[in-house]
Amino acid sequence: MRSPQFSSLIILVVLLVVFAVADANFLSPLNISNMMAFLPELGIIALGMTLLLTAGEFDLSVGAVFGLAPVVVMLLVQNAGVDIGVALLAGLVLCIAIGAINGLIVTKIGISSFLVTLSMLLVVRGAALYITQGFPLKSWDQPGFFVTLLAGSFNVGSFRFYTSLWWFIGLSLFAIYVLRYAKLGNWISAIGSNHNAAVARGVPADAVKIWLFIATSVLAGLAGMISAFRISAASPVAGTGYELEVIAMVVVGGTALTGGRGTILGTIVGALMLRAIRNGIVLIGVPGLAYNIFVGLIILAMLILHALLQKNAASG
Amino acid sequence: MDMLRLQNLQKSFGSVRALKNASLTLREGEVVALLGDNGAGKSTLIKAISGVFPVDRGDIYVRGEKVSIRSTRDAMDLGIETIHQDTSLAPDLSIARNLFLGREPVNFGWLGVFAPLDLAKLRNAASALLKRVGISKKLDADALVSTLSGGERQSIAISRAMQFAAKVIILDEPTNNLGVEETHGVLRFVKEVRDAGHSVLLITHNIHHVFQVADRIVVMRRGEIVAEQTVADTDLLTVESLITGADMSALLKQARAK
Ligand SMILES: Nc1ncnc2c1ncn2[C@@H]1O[C@H](COP(=O)(O)OP(=O)(O)OP(=O)(O)O)[C@@H](O)[C@H]1O
Ligand SMILES: [Mg+2]
Repeated sequence: MRSPQFSSLIILVVLLVVFAVADANFLSPLNISNMMAFLPELGIIALGMTLLLTAGEFDLSVGAVFGLAPVVVMLLVQNAGVDIGVALLAGLVLCIAIGAINGLIVTKIGISSFLVTLSMLLVVRGAALYITQGFPLKSWDQPGFFVTLLAGSFNVGSFRFYTSLWWFIGLSLFAIYVLRYAKLGNWISAIGSNHNAAVARGVPADAVKIWLFIATSVLAGLAGMISAFRISAASPVAGTGYELEVIAMVVVGGTALTGGRGTILGTIVGALMLRAIRNGIVLIGVPGLAYNIFVGLIILAMLILHALLQKNAASG
Repeated sequence: MDMLRLQNLQKSFGSVRALKNASLTLREGEVVALLGDNGAGKSTLIKAISGVFPVDRGDIYVRGEKVSIRSTRDAMDLGIETIHQDTSLAPDLSIARNLFLGREPVNFGWLGVFAPLDLAKLRNAASALLKRVGISKKLDADALVSTLSGGERQSIAISRAMQFAAKVIILDEPTNNLGVEETHGVLRFVKEVRDAGHSVLLITHNIHHVFQVADRIVVMRRGEIVAEQTVADTDLLTVESLITGADMSALLKQARAK
């Protein structure tokens, strides 16, 4: 009952009710469809970030990777005449490389992930800006297998959903399984909870972390591709600030920033909550420039609530 | 029979020579107490045996066979279980998950790290183990370790070592920060473990404990082993003077003479 994801869920429901009462359009099919189109893009990254945070690390370069991957893929297609499938594969390899470099430096050289991935953010964002000279590219707009796979859409009644929602659901289920039921999840939590103890039990902590950095990077790239295909454009500045928004989703959901305790369900609730806040605040007429104030305050309130619950649980 | 034999182990950290030619033998069903002042090299010695880091020189034999221990996994596979000075449990995991950390029972093992834990087996084995080691208070195998007292945690760590160690259990200051009752619990465990045929290497600063449970005493000073005695043939003062390097009994005689 006192579990963090449960309290987050209650807050989410309260928020939804408040927004729905304040503005009838909040629950309109169009608005829900809109929210569901954005949700998976940050949500998918948040899944990787949850696992990474549970293992005691985090990744600030995800927003930049979100921007770089589609830019590289589209440059290969448009300027080098590479087949879209091959270009996507190249994008995948790039994301794997970025994640691997993050992970190797963090684990083998022992620099904190904050510093390593902050530097990586600059390198990756800089690369995206440099290779495009700062200009957005037209994205792939011919219908085909990959577009259908990543950004196809379908109607359910008067709702319009994108295939990215399936990706988010599928990946969420997989992440829940891994963290809760698989041997790997046991290792991830143990590493974040007490690194030395895990290593002393023969858990390959460095390898686990490196793979989690890779997974997070790849998910960020996937989310970037989904977004680029959906709006038919690839911008070098896409995803700016996403790293913080994603981390906010994860911690609002109840995952501990200090590692050891992670909840995918909480992250899903967190992702829904931040999406609903961003959307609802605009609908109820908070001026666009002011809404970060509200987002920030609501996140703070959530974190304070978690901290109080945590204290309560510890003392009672 | 010699369970574990260390021959001329050497280990330096930069210019600090933490181990200089340390040799030691641990026999079957024997509790050996490893004593020495802070910084004598005790933790370094046992970290080398348990695979936390490799030694610079020297040989390790397990049951007479020369072995190479390159990782904590190697040590575990050789039947050497270590309870380190810095706590060896993950507080955010349940007791059951801690007991089997790194050796999780799974279904569909071919799935590798993605294999699902056999939760029923995990829980049952954990409960059985808790019962077998006779932890006084009834502990729920699903309880998080963060909710346990220091002594309970130590008992869990020791039960885990008992569960898996076919041969050697190493305890680095297991009674540190424990209350009276919890300390007795740990000492009782050590005896039980020995009676069950395991060999124990016990590091402690409490000489009284040594006389309660150990068969033999090995004293380290500045990275070297300076003395080895059977408990039956020695006494507290002698051991104390061996640790500090000062002749306590002589001092005491002097004091009495005055
Ligand atoms: N990782 C390390 N890097 C550098 N020096 C180290 C390291 N580990 C131990 N030392 C040094 O090696 C020496 C022996 O340390 P060790 O931890 O083995 O002592 P100890 O006998 O266990 O002491 P204590 O009773 O305080 O636990 C000390 O001088 C210590 O500072
Ligand atoms: Mg020590």
